[in-house]
Amino acid sequence: MKNSLLKKPLLILMLLIGSISYGQSVKGVVTDADGSLPGVSVTIQGTTSGAQTDFDGNYTIKASQGDVLVFSYLGYKTEVRTVGSETVINVTMTEDSTQLEEIVVIGYGTTTVKDATGSVASVRAEDFNKGVIASPEQLIQGKTAGVQISSTSGAPGAGVNIRIRGTNSVRSNNNPLFVVDGIPLSGQATTSGGNVIGLGSNPAKNPLSFLNPNDIESISILKDASATAIYGTRGSNGVVIVTTKSGRSKKGEFNYQANISSSEARSTYNLLNADQFLAARTSVGLTNDAVSNAGSSTDWQDVIFRRSTSHNQNLSYSKSHDSGSYIATLGFGNQYGIVENSNLERLTARLNLNQRFLDDKLRLTFNGSISRVNDNLAPTGGSAGYRGDILGAAFSANPTWPNDPSYDTGTLVNPSNLLAYTKGTTNTNRYLANVSLEYDLTSNLKAKVSLGIDKSDSNNFSVTSSEILGLADGIAGNGRGAYNTLDVQNDLLEATINYNKEFKNSKLDILGGFSYQNFKNQGLFSGAWGFSTKDLDLMGSTLQDVVEGLAGEVEGNYQQFGFAPNLPGVFVRGFEGNEFTTSSFSPVTSISGVRSLAVDSNNYNIELQSFFGRVNYSIAEKYLFTATIRADGSSAFPEENRYGYFPSGAFAWKLNEEDFMSDSNMSTLKLRLSAGLTGNQEGVGYGSYTNRSRWNGLNPANDGFIDIGNGNSIVSYGGPDLKWESTLQYATGLDFGFNNDRLTGSIDVYRKETIDLIFNTPQAQPAVTPVKFQNLPDSKIVNQGVEFSLGYDLVESEDFNWSANFNVAYNDNMVESLLGQYDFADVNGPGLTGAFAMRLQEGYPMFSYYLLEFEGYDAAGQAIVSDEKSFVGKSALPNLTGGLSTNLNYKQFSLSAYFNGQFGHYIYNNTANAFFTAGAFGTTRNVLPETLTSGEAIGASAPASTRFLEKGDFVRLQNLTLAYDMPMSGEGVFKSMVFSVTGQNLWLSSDYSGLDPEVNSATGGAFPSIGMDYGAYPNPTTITFGINAKF
Amino acid sequence: MKKQFNLKIVLLSLISMTALYSCSNLELEATDSVIQNIEFTGLADSQASLDGLYGATWGMLGDQANFFALNEVTTDEQVIPTRGSDWGDNGLWRSLHNHTWKVDHGFLLTTWNQLNEKVLQASFIIDPLSNSTSQQIAEAKFLRAFNMFFVLDMWGQNPFREATDLPSSTPIVLSSSEAYDFILNDLNEAIADLPEVSPSAATIGASKAAANFLKAKLILNGERYTGSTPNYQEVINAVNAVEASGFALQSGYFDIFLPSVDSETVLFGNISIGNRIWNGMHYNIVTPDNGGGGWNGFSTLAEFYDLFEGDANENYIGSGQEERRGWVPDASNANNTDNYGVGYGFLIGQQYSASGQPLSDRAGNPLSFSRDFSLTNSNETQAIRVIKYHPFDGTSSASFRSHEIIFRYADAHLMRAEAMLRSGDAGGALAEVNELRVLRDATALGSVSLDDMIDERGRELYVEFFRRNDLLRFGQFTKDWEFKDPASVGDANKNLFPIPLTALLSNPNLVQNPGY
Repeated sequence: MKNSLLKKPLLILMLLIGSISYGQSVKGVVTDADGSLPGVSVTIQGTTSGAQTDFDGNYTIKASQGDVLVFSYLGYKTEVRTVGSETVINVTMTEDSTQLEEIVVIGYGTTTVKDATGSVASVRAEDFNKGVIASPEQLIQGKTAGVQISSTSGAPGAGVNIRIRGTNSVRSNNNPLFVVDGIPLSGQATTSGGNVIGLGSNPAKNPLSFLNPNDIESISILKDASATAIYGTRGSNGVVIVTTKSGRSKKGEFNYQANISSSEARSTYNLLNADQFLAARTSVGLTNDAVSNAGSSTDWQDVIFRRSTSHNQNLSYSKSHDSGSYIATLGFGNQYGIVENSNLERLTARLNLNQRFLDDKLRLTFNGSISRVNDNLAPTGGSAGYRGDILGAAFSANPTWPNDPSYDTGTLVNPSNLLAYTKGTTNTNRYLANVSLEYDLTSNLKAKVSLGIDKSDSNNFSVTSSEILGLADGIAGNGRGAYNTLDVQNDLLEATINYNKEFKNSKLDILGGFSYQNFKNQGLFSGAWGFSTKDLDLMGSTLQDVVEGLAGEVEGNYQQFGFAPNLPGVFVRGFEGNEFTTSSFSPVTSISGVRSLAVDSNNYNIELQSFFGRVNYSIAEKYLFTATIRADGSSAFPEENRYGYFPSGAFAWKLNEEDFMSDSNMSTLKLRLSAGLTGNQEGVGYGSYTNRSRWNGLNPANDGFIDIGNGNSIVSYGGPDLKWESTLQYATGLDFGFNNDRLTGSIDVYRKETIDLIFNTPQAQPAVTPVKFQNLPDSKIVNQGVEFSLGYDLVESEDFNWSANFNVAYNDNMVESLLGQYDFADVNGPGLTGAFAMRLQEGYPMFSYYLLEFEGYDAAGQAIVSDEKSFVGKSALPNLTGGLSTNLNYKQFSLSAYFNGQFGHYIYNNTANAFFTAGAFGTTRNVLPETLTSGEAIGASAPASTRFLEKGDFVRLQNLTLAYDMPMSGEGVFKSMVFSVTGQNLWLSSDYSGLDPEVNSATGGAFPSIGMDYGAYPNPTTITFGINAKF
Repeated sequence: MKKQFNLKIVLLSLISMTALYSCSNLELEATDSVIQNIEFTGLADSQASLDGLYGATWGMLGDQANFFALNEVTTDEQVIPTRGSDWGDNGLWRSLHNHTWKVDHGFLLTTWNQLNEKVLQASFIIDPLSNSTSQQIAEAKFLRAFNMFFVLDMWGQNPFREATDLPSSTPIVLSSSEAYDFILNDLNEAIADLPEVSPSAATIGASKAAANFLKAKLILNGERYTGSTPNYQEVINAVNAVEASGFALQSGYFDIFLPSVDSETVLFGNISIGNRIWNGMHYNIVTPDNGGGGWNGFSTLAEFYDLFEGDANENYIGSGQEERRGWVPDASNANNTDNYGVGYGFLIGQQYSASGQPLSDRAGNPLSFSRDFSLTNSNETQAIRVIKYHPFDGTSSASFRSHEIIFRYADAHLMRAEAMLRSGDAGGALAEVNELRVLRDATALGSVSLDDMIDERGRELYVEFFRRNDLLRFGQFTKDWEFKDPASVGDANKNLFPIPLTALLSNPNLVQNPGY
């Protein structure tokens, strides 16, 4: 319809022009291997006149003989045809994956590498890391300069620390914002926390492990403020945008991918064996009685570590058709950890769909996924106190003990007993769906509405049976258990309008939008005592039945309920409006099987409401300007400070487009400048600025009694001045490319100043709570650094291709201004109560070690340490991080290797401090041979000191993959088949004496720490065999 | 054309409608807590807040670290030697005993916060806006006085804010004499409205007797806070009032620490006594519900042990000891029916299991507690252990039961004797002291001096968390004792603790105590 409307004036115009310059109408069909190709842009070189193919691939354009027609379409090689006398020019286009790399997904839109004004890195599926990948960020580890990705441990699904351009925030939440198919995820946990009863809590799990890495098409990392400011209060730590795959194949294609892998500990400690242990005891003058020599010989590391076999399988079907496409995927995998009892089972399903209506003017997109993750947790964790977790227990266990769960060591933990009589399981279902409608109001104006939902429900069982030995808390003979649930829901409503206009010599692109997001959080936390069964699974299900049965019976709003031998019926404590209420009832639910139970709950939501806009303006395709602003409102802040405003601006200059560069062989030269303000609101929590009261916590005592006379108290009081933490970032960068971009690279320099730091700081007493979230006046943390990346296609030929990419980043972190000094990073272990390793203070980097200086041993074998603790000039923050990857292709074979490294940081070896001391040996704990030759006396105490501070520098061969792409005739069922073998963590160079320098045990303390190693789960070495078939 | 036009309208209005509809004022919803104005408008439930305040006070007193450590481990009664890799804790415990603590000692900030927090919680209950009953107000005033008393005693100044002050306001700081007047006033007002409670299970809460007890304690120590000589008659009057409530000395020293009703318990808390029992026991001293055994830490100085009558090197039955020194079961009387093999009072020499077998330490040596030890490097068997609450309570096997005495009449009795002595009535004082000693099977004294008085208090009231306060009143906190740092002997600055650094930063009205 529209075509015919346009035709008339166009015809007249053409006739006019034609009468002057001789013109003709050229038409044709554009196709690719699978059929007609709609949306291909057809332009006449050197002019602005052009056309597009319709959905049957037809185009018509007015051209003169000798004109050059340029056919371009994203993802395809550009075709060029010179118009001769013919009036029909049909073109077949071929796919070009390097073209696709040009596209970069940014906040609320896309751009190309060439046109980006901010610092944006994009990694596409073909460049992802291979092997056993538990969660998406592992796909891009080391791929991008200035993005430091470190796993907190080697447990399946362990948490990951991602730092983009340094660490800005003192409280937790330095991880970037994740946006999956347009839905900004919540920064809070979606799995209910578990705790190994009597041994502290399990470390945080990775919130992204619900995503099937195979579903991901690309991951964009927004680093500077000009790119992240559009995300306002959540942009300070950078933004990672995950885009899942969409259907591409015209004919319909199945893709089956399967792998099987084998993992084992890369190294273990060289502990004393039973004979060496007994001989060493004799040699230091200790007697060997029945307690110290139980007569067996056990390698406890063998008991807890294992060679594990994991598998992962994915099947997808994708198809595109004239008016849309879809892809459906199914994934199933089970990753077994190298520590007994740990594995992560994941089942995922996804449907991505897009459909175009009304001459492609209306576009519907749906992305939906469902996942189920079952996580079995070994009793590991950095907060395990003086006994250590299963790893600490195994390192220190007497090698003469038998490997027998019923063996009673008296007072120490028998690892075999701990493995046999504790169990921790977390099950999480997560549903992520986003549906959006986009409509072209005019050819320049588009409007889009999106609805998104991210819902998860999770439960956790942590049980310790009555057969446990050596733990306090009245567990032995009674058993204890916890059943926790967490339901999190994140609803998103978004509306955007996009205006796009090309002028003679410039382009304008305006985006305006509104976003509303509601984060609901609801959970139950229970503690139970006195189980009638010793069966761990039955303990869990009994407890679940009781908790859920009673929860269903409680009437009205409740915060807590439970029962105990000292109480009649089931007690309930709750609120009605501003009143606290208590009641009790006689349950219908059978409460047999558990003698005492206390259940606590929470239920809250945080709302975010935002308005944002962006203007992109480019002149002559050389000078690019971007300005963004976001106004963010959050219910986490008081009315006076509810809205924050976050502007940014950027300018880029494509020097290679300038005439004076035309003779150069520089194919790319772009200068970027940007500045912007972003915020950080994660982790401030719910209602921190107000006056909130709750019932005090309940837990069965060692005799199972529960004290419900302990009343309520104010849990948060004040902070009416609470406002966003904000980060001002200035950045400049230079992108370059030589020889038609065979050699490319970037240099970026930035400075980030974070002010108004929010963290839990001591209140002026008398106060309700010892600390509260407040913005510290005159506080400032500065991160500044340089990033450099280089990519070179060393060999380009028909059969043989070799490329290498290198990136390195230097970051300098400094607490420039801060009132007071704050100690954190607890050191755990026997004789280490109250010990800490780090202090936060003005003039020192974050995570600076503050310790006694160790100077050796005196004649009596006692440690000589300095009188006072001091800053020892070392920090846990690496200042140099880098990655090197290389790809070799020879005919059907490809080989890729990827190394990563971190330098300049120190690790506190809490494992050694707690377990590998002569004093520990004196208490019948096992140690390393060198522990006994250090000059330290049996019976010496080992204070936290620089003795246990070690360099953390490492280089790791993270990934080595060999793949063979089997040649296919094209006639058979299979379109392609690729076999691969991948080795992960095959080689490590490090002077660190612990098992793995990439470590981050949450040992506890006022703030989250990094660089602490306390019985950390080591990163395994893994060999994976994979097959990928398309048919 | 028309169809498309409509669609635009529909789409545009859809966008604006959803935007408008969803436009939120971003207010908090009270879904899991009671939310009130930041301006204090009264508590929702005074009784529950009062219960919470009691619970928090019990929690503070039950801990072995923090409050208890600052008031006991800083004295000659308690010491925690570093034992190889155990209890070194970077000098945390040693620095208390040898008086070398620094301003960043972790227990100081925690205790400062714990005590002061409760002051404000009490003020919330007391404030008229909470509409609390007169008894709730009186109980809160008692608890406020209790917590402020220890802030005063430990730091010599009390930060204070009214319930209605905004949390962002800077608290005023009461000088020690202002604080003294404030606390005394609270106690006097509390006494009027508190219930009259005689020995019974009801002594778990504040009562006239408990408030009178604290009043006696405050006034007796008054010179340290106000600089002027206390009115000792008021101390005597307050103790008399406690006695008039029905409290009296009781024979059977260790029975007093059972969870049953007795005439000496003026105030007890629902406090787990696990730490009091196990912090000094060896790992291999176990009971049926505590297979993990003790924690092998808290011990006492031989010089303190020697204050008691009896053989200096053993404490089995028949060692000539007075009742309060307790006894250690041996092969002949260790059993599972009334002692689990665990002794009472002071544990010295070879220890036995419930079946009468001699115990070993973890290295296999005989578990025989010795008098002598090293502060920095002791083995597991060194140093005498102290146990006042016993894991065997005659009723059940719950060794972590919740019943710890906070105020005991014998303390009041000795306070009255001391007041008599200090006000010149040496005869009256001697009679009071001997009344107690005879009841405890100790030899009656011929005369009583101030030195006798502090020693008697030590023998009667050891590890009941008033030792620091007692030593200060008798000017003996800075005296020399084993392992004390020579530089700290006689250093009057040690009489007050330093104000924690973060507390100083948070309130410019606080002034650091001299010497820190």
